[in-house]
Amino acid sequence: MTGNSVALEVRSLTKVFGRGEGVRAVSDLSFRVEPGRVTGFLGPNGSGKTTTLRCLLGLVSPTSGDTLVGGHPYRELHDPLHTVGAALEASGFHPGRTARGHLSVVAASAGIARARVTEVLELVGLAEAGNRKVGGYSLGMRQRLSLATALLGDPSVLILDEPANGLDPEGIAWLRNFLRSLAAEGRTVLVSSHVLSEVQLTVDDVVIIRKGELVSYGSLSSLSSGMNATVIVRSPDSIRLAESIGQQASVTVTTDTTGALLVTGMSAAEIGALAFAQNVMLHELHAQEHDLEAVFLELTSSEGGAA
Amino acid sequence: MNALRAEFRKVLTTKLALWLLAFSVAFTALNVLLMVYLVPTSARMVNSGQLLQIPAYVNSIVASCANASVFVLIIGIIGMTGEYRHMTITATFLASPRRAPVMVAKAVTYAVIGAIFGIINFAVSLGLATITLAGKEHAAIVPSESLQTLGGVILGFAIYAILGVAVGSLIRNQVAALIIALVFVFLIQPLLSAFVDWTTAWLPGGALDAVMNMTYRQGEATSGLLTAWAGGLLLIGYAVVLGVIASITTLKRDIT
Repeated sequence: MTGNSVALEVRSLTKVFGRGEGVRAVSDLSFRVEPGRVTGFLGPNGSGKTTTLRCLLGLVSPTSGDTLVGGHPYRELHDPLHTVGAALEASGFHPGRTARGHLSVVAASAGIARARVTEVLELVGLAEAGNRKVGGYSLGMRQRLSLATALLGDPSVLILDEPANGLDPEGIAWLRNFLRSLAAEGRTVLVSSHVLSEVQLTVDDVVIIRKGELVSYGSLSSLSSGMNATVIVRSPDSIRLAESIGQQASVTVTTDTTGALLVTGMSAAEIGALAFAQNVMLHELHAQEHDLEAVFLELTSSEGGAA
Repeated sequence: MNALRAEFRKVLTTKLALWLLAFSVAFTALNVLLMVYLVPTSARMVNSGQLLQIPAYVNSIVASCANASVFVLIIGIIGMTGEYRHMTITATFLASPRRAPVMVAKAVTYAVIGAIFGIINFAVSLGLATITLAGKEHAAIVPSESLQTLGGVILGFAIYAILGVAVGSLIRNQVAALIIALVFVFLIQPLLSAFVDWTTAWLPGGALDAVMNMTYRQGEATSGLLTAWAGGLLLIGYAVVLGVIASITTLKRDIT
């Protein structure tokens, strides 16, 4: 790594494929990806993730808007592979080429020494299989080779498209630690996925898109706090408590089958204070743990989602 | 320079080039054997027995490596369409986001490979012709004519390889590109030559024959070929026109 931190920036990106009306893959999308953090780029299949990444990497020309790597368009980078390492889903290998051969081609195109090829093969655990033809590789081995290709230039930025596909649980755990350590070194790491749970333990920040539009952008913790949390309350005097809670503005109270109150719009502390003031005894008071996957599904489902 | 080194490494890390070279050499050998043993004994023509006494015919035996040009066309097509077929074009353009130098590097690489194919096939046709003609009564192989053939095969095969890259760049589907190119070489071109006489000289095959001094086909002198220089210029013209069209489309294309 060259030592300088490089942020990624997407500014009002719009991409329409085809002529006339065409297919609107990405629509007025803006976000920043910061160095030293792992950012998850999330959305259902077909939501425009890959198109956005390909715009960032100069493979697809935007209809309007800009994509910048450290302030410059990718196509103007002086030494692209030393700045950005990318592993894209639809990027392939010639089946008749060995992993070592594939890497040596990429190394040649960026003036990288052959010794580095051996290094990255060892780094991703392909040292043994490196001299075999890629045609005989499993999906997981291909993912590792993609990652090795991305790491070849020791880049400041790593962009990985669905990197966990085809990896076994052991591989996923390895990838998680690996990405965390890269971010800890000050690198910028952007990982796309269509399942939040896959990257939930890895990412610091999330960018969530649906149908090419931004639906949520911020730290992973803000994703849950931004949602209306449900507080579960049990009280021997629940009817009186429900009444006084119901008088608060923009609060909803429902009762579940066990007689517990489910409150949204108030924090547990506020409810506790209210009960104390009303002299109502409480048996249970706790904020429901957020199921991030449910939040994610709500955000990205076709009808639902935040504004 | 990096792009050029990467292109050569691409060719050297698969076995395709070696296989195609082997096929081309076998094809050239077959052509020489046909022209030495079969055509002169064919009963179809009145004077076939005298063919080996005609200097232009004997020189055409040496130049019959021209027919191996189709393998050079194929290697260019596969080299380019393979990038799309296996999606290695993504890695190529990630490493070299400025696409014009990539296309130039590819053209130069395949031109060099085409020239090497040409030199090897020329050596095969010259060598095999010398051996098989020995002991027969035949007109001499003229060194200066063979030298022109050598120059022609280097230029012509380099151009054919570039044409292959250009065709592959325009028609990204590998199978479609190969079929269209082969149909053109083996069907459309011969039919046009047979039925519209004047086209012979102006088609790529005729230009290649002119520059390579390949003046006899099927035991008959080809009429109306351009001079070697004009043929060479015409070939270069084909490469420039097709190459520019292919480059412009490739430079703008979204890689998805």
